[in-house]
Amino acid sequence: MKRSTGKYSDADDMTLVKASVDGDKTAFGEIVNRYKSMVARTVKGMLGDTVFAEDLGQEVFIKLYDSLPGFRGEAKLSTYIQKIAINITLNEIKRRKRFFSMFSRSDDDEIHEYDVTDTNDEERKDAREIVNKALQQLEPKFRVVVAMRMLQGYSTKETAEILDLPVGTVLSRLARGQEQMKKILKRL
Amino acid sequence: MKIKDIKNLILKSLTGDEPDAEVINNLIEATGDFSFSEGFTDKVLDKIFNRDVSESHDIEFLQSLNKIFYRIAISGIAAIILLLISIYISQGSLSIDSFLGLGDIADESIIYILTGN
Repeated sequence: MKRSTGKYSDADDMTLVKASVDGDKTAFGEIVNRYKSMVARTVKGMLGDTVFAEDLGQEVFIKLYDSLPGFRGEAKLSTYIQKIAINITLNEIKRRKRFFSMFSRSDDDEIHEYDVTDTNDEERKDAREIVNKALQQLEPKFRVVVAMRMLQGYSTKETAEILDLPVGTVLSRLARGQEQMKKILKRL
Repeated sequence: MKIKDIKNLILKSLTGDEPDAEVINNLIEATGDFSFSEGFTDKVLDKIFNRDVSESHDIEFLQSLNKIFYRIAISGIAAIILLLISIYISQGSLSIDSFLGLGDIADESIIYILTGN
């Protein structure tokens, strides 16, 4: 069932935020519709196209809804959502790392459940699989920076702002991530 | 697009201090949409707004549990006070012996009861 959010289709983000804080379900639905692709790229890009990614995506928006009363509009809503998505995804990566280390398995052994029903386009599916596999073999701190550049095209400054890191750190992580990526891609 | 081309695109996208828009767009085009499943928005909205309903049910339940507790506690305290008054009236004191119903029994009587002599 496709939810109609026509009432707010032309509304700016701040209008949607205010209406959502007042409990307007349609307004929050519009926010979800606007930013779900961005969240999907972040979460699925960093975790892989797993069934857990969908749950995590929902968690991102639930957390967003809970924190909206504190959103003052100092940063763009997309930046704010991206921060939440990255924090939740990084927490999940850490949780998995702990879980897998308990069973003496490496992070590389994480379960990959590729959703075959997601697309019929085999080439795109293959491309996504390569991107996912490559990203998941990167160290998490490089993975975030690389994913933000590769999957979303964020500038260095935007990445630094979202991750609360100095620009220099982002650049050095990007460079080291690129080095790791070269080795990973050779193996794939 | 061939796998080799995808790998090249990935590496190109990471080159330089700033992203190359054309390379990023090509990579996005190659990987396609990372979208969530159909009905994602509805699931999110249902979770958020039904959570409020279930939370309010929980609060109502806790409030009624609180009321029940007070009612039971007040009745219990009233019963204890009545018991103390009745013990005091019948036994003349509130000692432990009175509570155990032994206030009027002399030690000799107990020995008589137990031994029959």
